[in-house]
Amino acid sequence: MSAALATRIAEDFAATAHASGDLQRQRAMQALTERGLPTSRDENWKYVNLRPLEKVRFAPPPGGPQSPVTTQDLPAPIAQYARYTFVDGVFAPNLSAPTQHAGVLVKSIKAIGPISPHPLSTPDLRFALLNEAFATDGAQILVEPGTDCQACLELVFVATTEAKVGASYPRVSLQVGARARVGLIERHVSIGSDANFINCAVDVSVARDASVQHYRVQQAGARAIWFDTLTARLAENAKYQLHSASLGALSARSTVHVQLAGERSEVGLFSVSVGGKNQVHDTFALVEHIAANARTEQSFRGICAGRARVAFNGKIIVRKGAHGTDSRQSLRGLLAGDDAEIDVRPQLEIYTDDVRCNHGATAGKLDDNMLFYLLSRGLDRETAQRLLKWAFLEDVVAKIEVPELRRQIEQSLAGQLNEAALKELL
Amino acid sequence: MLKINNLHVAVGDNKVLNGLDLEIPTGEVHAIMGPNGSGKSTLAHVLAGRPGYEVTAGSVTFDGRDLLALEPEERAHEGVFLGFQYPVEIPGVNNVYLLKAALNAARKHRGLPEVDAFEFLSLVREKMQLMRMDESFLSRGVNEGFSGGEKKRNEILQMLVLEPRLAVLDETDSGLDIDALKVVANGVNTLRSPERSVVLVTHYQRLLDYVVPDHVHVLVRGKIARSGDRTLALDLEKRGYDWVTEEAA
Repeated sequence: MSAALATRIAEDFAATAHASGDLQRQRAMQALTERGLPTSRDENWKYVNLRPLEKVRFAPPPGGPQSPVTTQDLPAPIAQYARYTFVDGVFAPNLSAPTQHAGVLVKSIKAIGPISPHPLSTPDLRFALLNEAFATDGAQILVEPGTDCQACLELVFVATTEAKVGASYPRVSLQVGARARVGLIERHVSIGSDANFINCAVDVSVARDASVQHYRVQQAGARAIWFDTLTARLAENAKYQLHSASLGALSARSTVHVQLAGERSEVGLFSVSVGGKNQVHDTFALVEHIAANARTEQSFRGICAGRARVAFNGKIIVRKGAHGTDSRQSLRGLLAGDDAEIDVRPQLEIYTDDVRCNHGATAGKLDDNMLFYLLSRGLDRETAQRLLKWAFLEDVVAKIEVPELRRQIEQSLAGQLNEAALKELL
Repeated sequence: MLKINNLHVAVGDNKVLNGLDLEIPTGEVHAIMGPNGSGKSTLAHVLAGRPGYEVTAGSVTFDGRDLLALEPEERAHEGVFLGFQYPVEIPGVNNVYLLKAALNAARKHRGLPEVDAFEFLSLVREKMQLMRMDESFLSRGVNEGFSGGEKKRNEILQMLVLEPRLAVLDETDSGLDIDALKVVANGVNTLRSPERSVVLVTHYQRLLDYVVPDHVHVLVRGKIARSGDRTLALDLEKRGYDWVTEEAA
């Protein structure tokens, strides 16, 4: 970490109220200082751009949220999902509609008291430490064993403050009891200012035989910097599906670390990313197979236009003893501009025998045969290209099982691809 | 309708068509036969405007217009349709959307408003019935997971919806069992009219039992080596291509 940046983070921390009282936050700050921030020389951070951080104020906005937010500003709600809205990282009860579902407990971290440390700590997860040191609030979600709440909760994180004034620290802890079934939607939007600094930390733990559908939509403002850390642990026979749509922000980095700690656990990571202009979208997704007979399915589709850069690094580690591992990776990038850059990288590290690991990665332009087929049917070139870009994303988007949310994401993708024509298709 | 004059086409360094002459009058069905590698598919692709084929000499006019100067989509707007030998799968684009977009593109070119949704669906249903296609095809991705026969039927369905003035069908009969062949032939026969022409590119004469051509041409080494009526196809079936190839040499 550049010394100047380190000093500034430490200074901003020292100025907060936690600096004196909260031991856990002090520890997090100390760990971050010792570890330092990553640089582009770190293999898993090759595409990260820390320069924009130099102008950031790391503490939350001193006077609270800068822009008044009303319900009308928020994304349309999804039927049956209870909504919890956080503005600049702080729970906003007036913009929320709490759940009545038995067995689902949602608490504001602020109401609970001292922050609990992030359960996993590796060098790649260090932005979670930044969140831990500064976060002022967040959602702690406990789902009791056996609860069935498939259309359950929606968390909306709104950033309103200019990065130079203050940062937003969304924080989520989701603990799902045995045999429970839960659906969670998590959105990130900007309102008022589009130049926010957002540092998000999410931790998920799924007990045996439980299943979680987790949808994440990143639609931060056009000049926003979005850093994100998501960790998940799965017990025996647990299922976790993470669907991510990365659309917004000027610079977005998501770090995902999933541990398949229980036998026959299953994780599905389905990500789409569309970058244009000079956006940078970078994802590092690590799945660690610890227990035997677990499964991973990872699909990524990224489209990159303008001078944008989209990177996806999908790594799978199969630990000793994780025999019977079955993992599939399908990572595909589409270049839609001469100055755009796509980097897709599947990585495998295997320390045991008897595993099945398939991976495929492609990066390229639109398929000429498909294009000619559509042209030969009379579609003009622009429409044909749009349609093929759409089709490229569609097999991953189609896995979104909440029809309303899927439609909203499709509309946003169509907008991002600049596709008035595509709206007809939806 | 279609006049091909001394057409020379190269693919890379490979000269595939070497002075091909062919005239297809309006309202006629012509079959183009020939051994493997004689240039049949190249001809079909060149007519549709596929990139990668270099026309080194000759001309192609369609209703007096220079066809080769038009982009593939413009050829489609003018009423040229290529039925592909290997239709590509396009997951994520559904059949009904493609049919509608294609039909509307043609209508726009003719100065007509977009097709009414209700009329469109009843039109497509009628044609699907003719092609014995299940309605579930509509919501599936273009050719996605289709069997060889289903892909060919889908090509003919598109043709029937678009009603081209010149249909060039590239080995539409290959890979079809006898029942599917009859369905496809029935589709092609439905399109036959005094205003439309059809070019059937095929290896075998069996399609021609069901779609009876007005003329048959044999392509050898990139040129028409022999033309005749449908009895020529029957001769080829009995005697093979060798005698025509030898005569041409």
